[in-house]
Amino acid sequence: MFNVTVISQIMWTSLATSSYFVLFALSFALVLKVNKVFNFAQAGMMTAGFYAAYVAVRHLGLPGPAGLVAAVLAGMLAAFVLERFGFRVLRERRASAMFVFIFTLVASQFITYAMTLVFGTWPTTIFESMFWPVKIIGDVAVSAWDVPAIAATLAVLAALWAFLRFTRYGQFMIAVADNSALAELYGIRKDRVLMLTMLIAGAIGGIGMFLYGTRAQVQPAAATELMLFAVAATILGGIGNIWGAALAAVVLGMVQNASILFIPSAWQGFLLFAFLFFAIVLFPSGFHFPESRRALKKMRAAPAANSGKAG
Amino acid sequence: MDYIYTMIILIGLFVILAASFDLVIGHCGLISIAHPIFYAIGAYVSAMLAKEAGWPVPFAMLAGGLAALVSSILVALPSLRVSGDYLLIASIGFQLGLIELAKHIHSIGGAGGLTNIPSFLVAEHGRLAYVLLVVAVAVLTVLFVRWLAHGPYGRMMAALRDDELAFSMLGRNAIWLKVSVFAIGSGIAGLAGGLYAHYFRFLEPDQFGLLQSSAILTMVVVGGMRTTWGPVIGAIVLQILPQAITFLGLPPSVLGPLQGLLFSGLVLVFMFARPQGLIAASDIWSGRDAGGRPR
Repeated sequence: MFNVTVISQIMWTSLATSSYFVLFALSFALVLKVNKVFNFAQAGMMTAGFYAAYVAVRHLGLPGPAGLVAAVLAGMLAAFVLERFGFRVLRERRASAMFVFIFTLVASQFITYAMTLVFGTWPTTIFESMFWPVKIIGDVAVSAWDVPAIAATLAVLAALWAFLRFTRYGQFMIAVADNSALAELYGIRKDRVLMLTMLIAGAIGGIGMFLYGTRAQVQPAAATELMLFAVAATILGGIGNIWGAALAAVVLGMVQNASILFIPSAWQGFLLFAFLFFAIVLFPSGFHFPESRRALKKMRAAPAANSGKAG
Repeated sequence: MDYIYTMIILIGLFVILAASFDLVIGHCGLISIAHPIFYAIGAYVSAMLAKEAGWPVPFAMLAGGLAALVSSILVALPSLRVSGDYLLIASIGFQLGLIELAKHIHSIGGAGGLTNIPSFLVAEHGRLAYVLLVVAVAVLTVLFVRWLAHGPYGRMMAALRDDELAFSMLGRNAIWLKVSVFAIGSGIAGLAGGLYAHYFRFLEPDQFGLLQSSAILTMVVVGGMRTTWGPVIGAIVLQILPQAITFLGLPPSVLGPLQGLLFSGLVLVFMFARPQGLIAASDIWSGRDAGGRPR
């Protein structure tokens, strides 16, 4: 069972399936970093994205790329509504962190129940079939889904990195993440930056859900578990470090997939909760490589990110 | 008549759950929505002890409450040592993870549910006796929470909620207070679980999921947090309202999500239109203390 072919196959498939986990983790970690919100409503944004793609492809008969666009737009629309009529109102009222937290949870459930009411609890997929043609490369079977999914994830990572690094609004986002009051003093319009962050998170979540929904069955409550995976990755990656979250998502995704070698598949779902607990108990401020300068910098940054939303 | 008795019992159980949850989230300001899992632990432990080990039901119920109390400490201690936010995540992970686990353990019924739980009181003294028992526990819970909240313990909780740093600077142990309040609230929920198990005599893991969480949260938010009667009113209103929908004769596939939509929608409406709930406590939600200073 443990020969090179099996192991390399599992490694490859795990890497491919971790592509959407990376996107969910990016989305969650970005909102946590900039908006300082544990955005549990992300599950709602993701659900909206999936069902938009589902309607576009399965009901309206549009081609796949149109489904992807629909998923992105729906994710962004959900993000817009949440930010404009939820988070902004709460900020203006100076609502406590607990209140904001509960809002994200309840908003997420509201969207989930609304989708359940419309689409039922039966699992569905974006395309008729979720089986993709397979090519054998070396000894490893590579499906037609794997390469585009990994490419899309890498493209999103590169685009986000370039956006944060080279554009004005990307810099604004980092400024607001560091110190929002100071950023405002410098004339940065915080509300706009926070809205932009939510829109980006909604779009990334939509892409992730499109990838997930073309490969696995989705029912309205599925996004909650996918999001909890992102939460575990965000904590392990070190709060405030979005690239760390993405890396942690790859590792967790690979561990979960590779676990099929060691534990019965019925228990695979349970692993997620083990990760979550493990992340909180053992690595509450992220996993660090000791003695590297980057890690020290992160350690100093982590309490700063925490202090904004204590409560 | 049996229907009305059952309704009263359900309302009583939700009063216990809402009041104990208000202690955790309202009075102590601990963010967790995993209350139903402690309800479930109480229910399952009590049911299994009575069914398999032959314990007398009252002792089994108390043991169920104790099991919920101990497990809540195990969840709260590691996460609260880090930060208050982590309690929510750890407790949701614990809740969903344990439900997932319960579905795979066949000796406690698995996903199909645990049946034939020994009954209590009803066979010998009729349903009314059980109604009285539940109502008595509900009244005691409400009075106990009120007593806690208005006494020295309550002042400590208020101080902790308003300014944790100042609270710690006065030499108080914030984590100890949080963990103990969380444990008391969860223990009461566990006791309610025992009361549920030996009346309905059937348990399945899925009934203790997020729908239940949002139901209890709705009762507390709609009724009014940090008030004595808020959770009581919330539990009564929100137990009767879904029953009204049940009478519409909708299929279960529509009924479940509709109830969920109602619960979460009501919380959203109340959060934005009337954050203080039906019964208002003095500015809880605003994030400002009495002096108008942002928290």
